[in-house]
Amino acid sequence: MLTAENLVKTFPGVRALDGASLRLAAGSVHALLGENGAGKSTLIKILTGVHQPDGGRVALGDTGLHLNGPLAAQRAGIGVVHQERNLIPAFTVAENILLHHLPRRFGLVDRARMHAEARRCLGLLDLHLDPDTPVSRLSVAQAQLVEIAKALSVDSKVLLLDEPTASLTADEADRLYAIVRKLRDSGHAIVLVSHKLEEVFAIADTVTVLRDGRSVAEAEPLADHSQDQIVDLMVGRAYSSARLAERRVDPATPPLLRLDKLSTARGHHDISLSVRPGEILGLYGLVGAGRSELAKALVGLDRITSGTMEVRGRPVRIRDVGDALRGHRIGYVSENRKEEGLFLDQTVARNVAVTVWRRLAKAGLVTDRAERRLMTRYVDRLGIRISSPSQLAGQLSGGNQQKVSLAKWLAAECEILIVDEPTVGIDVRTKAAFHELIAELAEAGLALLLISSDLPEIVTLADRIAVMNDFSLRGELDNDHDYARMSQAIIRLIHDDRALGGQVHPAL
Amino acid sequence: MNPATTTAGPAGPGGRLKDVTTRPEFTLAVLAAAGFLTLAVATDGNLLSRGTLEAFFRFLAVPIVIGLSQMVVLAVGQMNLSVGTLTGLSAMVAAWLMLEGGLPAPLAVLGALGVGLAAGLANGLLVVFTRINGFIVTLATMTIFEGLRYGVNGPDTFQGYSPGLRDVGAASVLGLPVVLVLALVVAALVALFFGRAVVGRQLLATGGSPFAARLSGVSNDRSIVIAHGLSGLLAGVAAVITVAASGSVNSSIGDDLLLPSFAAPIIGGVALAGGVVSVAGTCLAAFLIRLVDVMQAQFGINPRWIDLIVGAVVLGAVLLGTMRQKLSKGSP
Repeated sequence: MLTAENLVKTFPGVRALDGASLRLAAGSVHALLGENGAGKSTLIKILTGVHQPDGGRVALGDTGLHLNGPLAAQRAGIGVVHQERNLIPAFTVAENILLHHLPRRFGLVDRARMHAEARRCLGLLDLHLDPDTPVSRLSVAQAQLVEIAKALSVDSKVLLLDEPTASLTADEADRLYAIVRKLRDSGHAIVLVSHKLEEVFAIADTVTVLRDGRSVAEAEPLADHSQDQIVDLMVGRAYSSARLAERRVDPATPPLLRLDKLSTARGHHDISLSVRPGEILGLYGLVGAGRSELAKALVGLDRITSGTMEVRGRPVRIRDVGDALRGHRIGYVSENRKEEGLFLDQTVARNVAVTVWRRLAKAGLVTDRAERRLMTRYVDRLGIRISSPSQLAGQLSGGNQQKVSLAKWLAAECEILIVDEPTVGIDVRTKAAFHELIAELAEAGLALLLISSDLPEIVTLADRIAVMNDFSLRGELDNDHDYARMSQAIIRLIHDDRALGGQVHPAL
Repeated sequence: MNPATTTAGPAGPGGRLKDVTTRPEFTLAVLAAAGFLTLAVATDGNLLSRGTLEAFFRFLAVPIVIGLSQMVVLAVGQMNLSVGTLTGLSAMVAAWLMLEGGLPAPLAVLGALGVGLAAGLANGLLVVFTRINGFIVTLATMTIFEGLRYGVNGPDTFQGYSPGLRDVGAASVLGLPVVLVLALVVAALVALFFGRAVVGRQLLATGGSPFAARLSGVSNDRSIVIAHGLSGLLAGVAAVITVAASGSVNSSIGDDLLLPSFAAPIIGGVALAGGVVSVAGTCLAAFLIRLVDVMQAQFGINPRWIDLIVGAVVLGAVLLGTMRQKLSKGSP
């Protein structure tokens, strides 16, 4: 019914889709699978007119479609429920469902017709909600179902569900899937994006697997594959990781940072892990697993509610980032370097020196010369390419920006460094150089906590890998740098609810 | 999960009453009534004498309309700093059309409304096409309108224009000044627009969640242009009321309207971030501010104190709003 062929989409610095294809049949549930960053969301956004593809074609039956906006996709009969909630909180259920074509009479909203129409859509889902309820009063699950009702209100024949059960309980998810089956039986084509493989196998008929923006399995019957085969397809066996120099960490060395049954205000519970000097602990998880949030709690940006955090063997309470930095030498290289890590309209020198102005200052004043001297040291050490010390950080390439962000924390003489998604949006060559750099930092005796959604990166760099899901640790693995084995073990830890035990080592 | 059980079902009579009393508009109405009575008693009933009461209501019309003018841009998450000088410019144009252009009053009124609408649309189009923040755009146009307003007649005052229009400005029906009735009719139309009209709902959708609105096929650019255009049109209405009620206009008209234009909607419970409006709240807040004004006149308080009080009340209202939000999040 709906087909997408050889879609290509590039964003600045990233080729998000590189020849992805999707073929849907009426009356079936089609699973769209892939690891973080494989291009699933981009594909969904192209099919719903939010993004326009740079190449390839989308067709409904035999006619080509030009989806130049969300409205065009709706007219073509493609309904979508995005991963994030997209309802207007102050509006009622009925208004949200029909927002894209409010029934009108003389320019006024025809309430009677709006209610009747909303009731019909809710009825398709066996939902008995009062259409006059403001959306802000609904539970997460109810809001989710209202979005499905909204997607159905345009008579969509194709329904795209992006991670529909991410914020639902098991019962709620069951109910949702009952509805999905009902819609399938009435002839809809449904695309399901989900990280939960059990659910996918329970409900989907066919599957497309994306890897690095490409379809590696295309509309194949799901029954032909085992879960293991699908995981293989998702992570790719053929990946050959660059070998870095062997590092040896003496297991007897006392840890520099140790967490014991830590819980936070953001919802982490019972997080226990430790990092020794010279060691890289990888923290892997899906987007939204709570890794960056944990990092932020560790540097005092969020409240720790129970458990202990020990630095150099002593229990500490971190008040704020200044305390983390100056009191305990903990630095956090944030994921979002453009918004959180750098001052883009300031010079490179100033960006590097920002953490140590107090140390550089003489009589309360920071001289340009002191800043430049400091910067030159790190430019050489990290190989940052700049045209002059007064170049603005915003003019650098992504990789060099990330290095400046890193230099800032090294200048502060951090001993514990939390590095969050260091190579997102960076080209392959710079990425390899960055990996060497991180390994060298560990070699020099820093304790590193590496947060990454990039499996090859974690397997290449980390000494041990802790896997996080839903704000708690699923387990910890000793990394033997064998990509095939490690990646499968990690994916299984995330996807398999019964994984606790077996090859999993209890966290220290 | 059973959605039916957690539905906010139809409220019983008790629930309805509670719904009404917990609304911010209810608090404002109680405050307004209490303030009015207190002032009436404190002035030994002077406030209730025919002349004073009429003056009280006559000069309530412009604050209501100017508050609504700001409210419609706040609805889409924008601001309009130029409402005051635009009101002045429109008023000067209307007077000029009558005195220098020799046009009859109705055409001059249309002229003032036209200037307001056109200037408002220009604000909106500038915001949409330049992608410059609306605050900056209207800060610039505020100054431009200020210059144009002075350009119409220099430092001189226009007076002695259409007696018919001035009669309307001074007239009353059933003890209420005609200009106030006009302002209330405009308020009712604005309420209908945001409550029922498709375009009005689209404006609120844009203000409430621009991305969700876009996914539903609402053009956020169109919403922004319409909101600014409407804001300008309402500034034109305020200008017409000023011309009719005051009998003379000069290039300082509108200078004292910027703070009240924000004060009324903000005290009235309109969300600064957009998406939520309250016409009743805005009108009641304008009433409260008017009470403060009258208090100043009655007790000969230094007028400088009034700005201080209004400013403090605006800050307090915003603080209360954020506190209320936090509370309602804590216990839904």
